[in-house]
Amino acid sequence: MESSKQIEEAASEWLLRRDSESWSDEDQVQLTAWLHAATANRVAFLRLEMAWDEANRLKALGAGFPARTVPSAGQLSELSGWSDAGAVPRHRDMAHAGAGRRKRAALAATLFAMAVGVYLYTAAPFSGDRYSTPIGGVTSVPLKDGSSITLNSASKIRVQLGETERRIDLAEGEAFFEVAKDPSRPFVVHAGNRRVIAVGTKFSVRRDGDNVRVVVTEGVVRFEDTETHATTSDAGKAAIVEASRLTAGAVVRAAGDNTIVRTASLPEAEDLLSWRSGYVVFHETALADAVAEFNRYSERRIVIRDPRIAAIRLTGKFRSNNSDAFVRLLEESFPIHAQHLPDQIILSDGLTTGTP
Amino acid sequence: MEDPLDTWFKREVLAHEAALVRYLSRVWSARDEIQDLRQETYIRVYEAARKSRPASAKPFLFATARNLMADRVRRGRVVSIEAVGDVDALNVMVNEVSPERHLSAWQELKRVTHALNRLPPKCREIVWLRKVDQLSTKEVAEHLGLSLRTVEGQILKGMRVLADAILGRSVGATEKDSAGSDSEKRGEDTEANHGEQ
Repeated sequence: MESSKQIEEAASEWLLRRDSESWSDEDQVQLTAWLHAATANRVAFLRLEMAWDEANRLKALGAGFPARTVPSAGQLSELSGWSDAGAVPRHRDMAHAGAGRRKRAALAATLFAMAVGVYLYTAAPFSGDRYSTPIGGVTSVPLKDGSSITLNSASKIRVQLGETERRIDLAEGEAFFEVAKDPSRPFVVHAGNRRVIAVGTKFSVRRDGDNVRVVVTEGVVRFEDTETHATTSDAGKAAIVEASRLTAGAVVRAAGDNTIVRTASLPEAEDLLSWRSGYVVFHETALADAVAEFNRYSERRIVIRDPRIAAIRLTGKFRSNNSDAFVRLLEESFPIHAQHLPDQIILSDGLTTGTP
Repeated sequence: MEDPLDTWFKREVLAHEAALVRYLSRVWSARDEIQDLRQETYIRVYEAARKSRPASAKPFLFATARNLMADRVRRGRVVSIEAVGDVDALNVMVNEVSPERHLSAWQELKRVTHALNRLPPKCREIVWLRKVDQLSTKEVAEHLGLSLRTVEGQILKGMRVLADAILGRSVGATEKDSAGSDSEKRGEDTEANHGEQ
């Protein structure tokens, strides 16, 4: 039996060959056969491959040095002189006296720029391909990687398909994601301080300011609540406060510091996504919430004048772009009176106003 | 495109290597068997996941490692008697280990840089040219005036040492070995370092 060391050596030989220009389909067939021959081969290969891919991050350091010039370990280890507590160099690192001072300052400046760059990248929501929908509009956006995004009314997103990550920023509104499988590039949706990470699956993210709702209808996603320190020495780090693994049927609501994860039935989860076909679905929903939902789809707002009717519960499926029909149904089913004005519809208690 | 199981394995299992190696090292006194135990644990986890993927990878990984060690103790392959006691006592540790993943890009870069500095000088230079300047193996050989064989040998070594240094590295314990001066020596015996954290 081969020792784990021998297998590791063989795995590194494969990885080296696969990295070379002369790699052919025939080689790939042989590698596949080798990987299939024993799980020991496969895990050894995956492990080396993962680390070797990770080492691609080193490319980011190239900016600080002339091409084909290898910095000394000492130069690079200045990196580690930086506190773990933050990505920004502490003041005293830059204030070293001595012969190497200027050089170190230059390096520190480069690395500082990188640190800030990382921060700005997380902080600047608008560079990349942007898509938005007007009120009442639902749009489908096909992406180059084969994924597709359906944007709900009044929504704004930015899309960046990078080599290691497919990043979507949801500035406002709601979007449904059908993610094409690509394990080498996780699909990450940022909604403020929350992140939803998927490889290949279907889910929606809705954002109203700080409130975020995630509905998963297929596969598994990871939900993260992060905290970004913009002003402290922790700039650039998005600390993960909480993370959950969500499976199909999961509905997450996050508001302020609270995150509630609930497992709904799949049909119920699908109902939450019925906007894609132009419907809103209510199950024992308070009128106030139902009205807020309708108002997402129309410039002509519905206003509840009377708090007493706000708590009325209703169930049903309605066309999201037809608030008139919704209001008519309300009038027929409940003691509600509607007053139609050019820019809004006012609902009041029909019993008080004396109209049926 | 990568097999979903392979992706899962990398993200959910290999990501815990530092903690796994720490765990194995605390229980198992024979240092030279740690790598073997680690790989055997991976094999068992991968094969089990092929049939049915565990809902929670980390506890499963540690349970597998524990069972593996227990098996070896039973088969009399154990060198140290303390190990037996520890195997039973170590359930607690599973919850102790922190999830060392989803680091910020900055932390990841730092970790990889540390790993690079662990490589012997020649190896380090070659890996830099390969990864940062993106030169092919042949170009690296031409640039340094070395034979292709030599460069390839160094890259093979670099791959293996980097794997230990990147995956086996606990992020919390970064500063201990930050200096690069004695990186050569360290590069040779990374395995022995795991137990010390």
